[in-house]
Amino acid sequence: MYPRWLWPAFAIPGVVWLLILFLLPFYAVIGVAFGNIDPILQTPIPAWNPINWNTGWVAHVLNELTPGGVYWDVFLRTIRYVALSLGGCILIGYPVAYYIARHASRTKSLLLILLVLPFWISYLMRMLAWINLLAPGGYAARFLSFTHISDLLYHMGLLSQPNNYLGGESFTVIFALIYGYIPYFILPLYASLDRIDRSHLEAARDLGASPFRAFWHVTLPLSKTGLLGGAVLIVLPMFGDYYTPNIVSGAPTTSMIGNQIDLYFHGGPQPTIGAAITIILSAFLVVLMGYYMWTIHKSSKELVA
Amino acid sequence: MHPKERRSAATRREFLARTGGAAFALSGASGLLAACSNSTTTAGSTVNSAGQAVGPGGLPLARPDRRVTLPLWEQPIPSGMKPETGGEFTIFNYPEYIYGALLKEFGKKYNVTVKVTPFDDINTGVAKLASGAVQPDVTEMTPDNLDRVVAGHLIKPLNLDYIPNLKKNVWPSLVDPFYDVGSRYGVPYTAYATGIAWRTDQVKEDIPSMSNPWDIFWQAQAYKGKTALLSEVRETIAMALLRKGELDINTEDPAKINQAVADLQELYNICNIKVGDLQYSTIPEDKAWLNQAWSGDMMSAFFYYLPNKATGPLLRFWHPVKGKGPIQNDMWSICTTTKKPVLAHLFLNFMLDNGVAYSNFVNFNGYQPPLNEIVPEDLVKKKVIPETLATCVLTESDLGPDSLQEMTLTTKGQSLWQDGYSTFLSGA
Repeated sequence: MYPRWLWPAFAIPGVVWLLILFLLPFYAVIGVAFGNIDPILQTPIPAWNPINWNTGWVAHVLNELTPGGVYWDVFLRTIRYVALSLGGCILIGYPVAYYIARHASRTKSLLLILLVLPFWISYLMRMLAWINLLAPGGYAARFLSFTHISDLLYHMGLLSQPNNYLGGESFTVIFALIYGYIPYFILPLYASLDRIDRSHLEAARDLGASPFRAFWHVTLPLSKTGLLGGAVLIVLPMFGDYYTPNIVSGAPTTSMIGNQIDLYFHGGPQPTIGAAITIILSAFLVVLMGYYMWTIHKSSKELVA
Repeated sequence: MHPKERRSAATRREFLARTGGAAFALSGASGLLAACSNSTTTAGSTVNSAGQAVGPGGLPLARPDRRVTLPLWEQPIPSGMKPETGGEFTIFNYPEYIYGALLKEFGKKYNVTVKVTPFDDINTGVAKLASGAVQPDVTEMTPDNLDRVVAGHLIKPLNLDYIPNLKKNVWPSLVDPFYDVGSRYGVPYTAYATGIAWRTDQVKEDIPSMSNPWDIFWQAQAYKGKTALLSEVRETIAMALLRKGELDINTEDPAKINQAVADLQELYNICNIKVGDLQYSTIPEDKAWLNQAWSGDMMSAFFYYLPNKATGPLLRFWHPVKGKGPIQNDMWSICTTTKKPVLAHLFLNFMLDNGVAYSNFVNFNGYQPPLNEIVPEDLVKKKVIPETLATCVLTESDLGPDSLQEMTLTTKGQSLWQDGYSTFLSGA
């Protein structure tokens, strides 16, 4: 027989990894947010002991995150961009994941490789590529103009100028977010859809459900954990993203909350504000994460039942 | 259990009630935290015992008309020592801001491997130096940061005996600059003016002949999405101040800064203003038409980024006359962490050699060294730049006590400017 400690011991590398590379840095950010600043070098002095916490910076940021505050509009804009990008990822990603899981028999491996392919190129490079593609005269801009899609987007009010995708447009930022993050959404969703027992669908069809009703009442609920997993995976980094709007737009009118964090962390006497925005944003995201964990927990309990 | 029979996680009404509760809790939390708050100001006095305004380092604020001698926190190295050889020699600098061929030449001359460690911006650079995360031999520096890097003992005092090229080749006003009388801690590297860059094939206005050229940004409706300002806290707000005739670009008056920010916010609707520091490539590549820019940007644009050199005259640069707009300079300093202090001095001297500095300028970074030998007319005559870009080249006469330079602010002033820029950047 194996000793009782053997199997838990396998978790040690993962726990150590989490401690060193997640919890410790995160606590450092908390320490900075509740800390002080070196008066000469203007570098943060983290407050490691909660007894010594200076809550002034966090209170200041919370105050500015209320209606009328400096960060209120940019925070709402961030939520809007992330929600629309998530919606776009679901609309595009779900059918792709569904097709690969259900209908791509011989081409499944190829399609999965194609899905992983974007990971071979850095996110930054993929974004920079769009600068040339969407610039006036770029292949993508010319195609969109030729097919009158640009005109359509303009008349729908999605572009403020026809064919000027890089002129500081919300549409371009949301498009870039979808493009950048969609592979991270499709993969967990595919894994979830692929695991669904086909007999459930057959039972639904045998009981007279139409293909749509079978999808709506069986496939969709059973893929909920995959959907939420993919959503959590992309929503969390999207909230902190600042380089995507920087690269494809650059206009303050399309900036996200991450741009404010970047501003305060990148110099000046108030890095604590950057840290305070970060932890408040994290607290907000914990709510989303909590919902995901609760759903997973509920699903696994139902599975056992 | 059939999926249909599951109780839904929460009704919409419940969801709204819960999120509303969370929002209420959030606003309440700010009050609670504020109640037990310590402070939201960075420690450090803004005036010294003599009642003078001081920077974060506690040193008086230098201005073109107010010269400051920085204190020696240690004695410079003695004269007449031999340079160290072998091993690595590390330069801490902006990326792509020094010509690699010259570094190889220096390395070969003194038998060292020269390495460049880049930083994103000078503030990040200072933070890394302060943390000890990097231990370079020499670093790029800016005059407005001297106060804190000297007070923080991050850079060493110089022995100018090792740097004869300073007196021999450099503009006299930067041999003995107002921010560091006697060049105790640094030597100049590049000089540049802040102004407006544009393409004449896209921007039809004759900007230099406008009664107030800065107004072009507020009249840029036709260049929507093609107009940008520098992504720099000081430069952006200073431009809005100058537009309104406010020449104190180091002001710490909240009313003036708030007004400048409000003026900048008007640009959202006028031209959906963008911010960024890529004007040296976006203008020549026709991705932007009208930009706030540094003088060196348009020379870089002409040297490297313009697809067709014959179209050089399309690029234009305007900057205000002396005393009406900022003229800045970058510097080299020796890091306290250097293990090769003599060689570090020789590197500073090397970078001020006429041939080396000229090569670095025209073969690589486009930012001019402040050397007596660099004359705009000569550059045009030699066809290094087209005549239309002669405005990018500065001369000694552009500096002086009545010139403008964005310099060190008190800690409180820095927070004020940063918060103002944050408001502009929020796009609200």
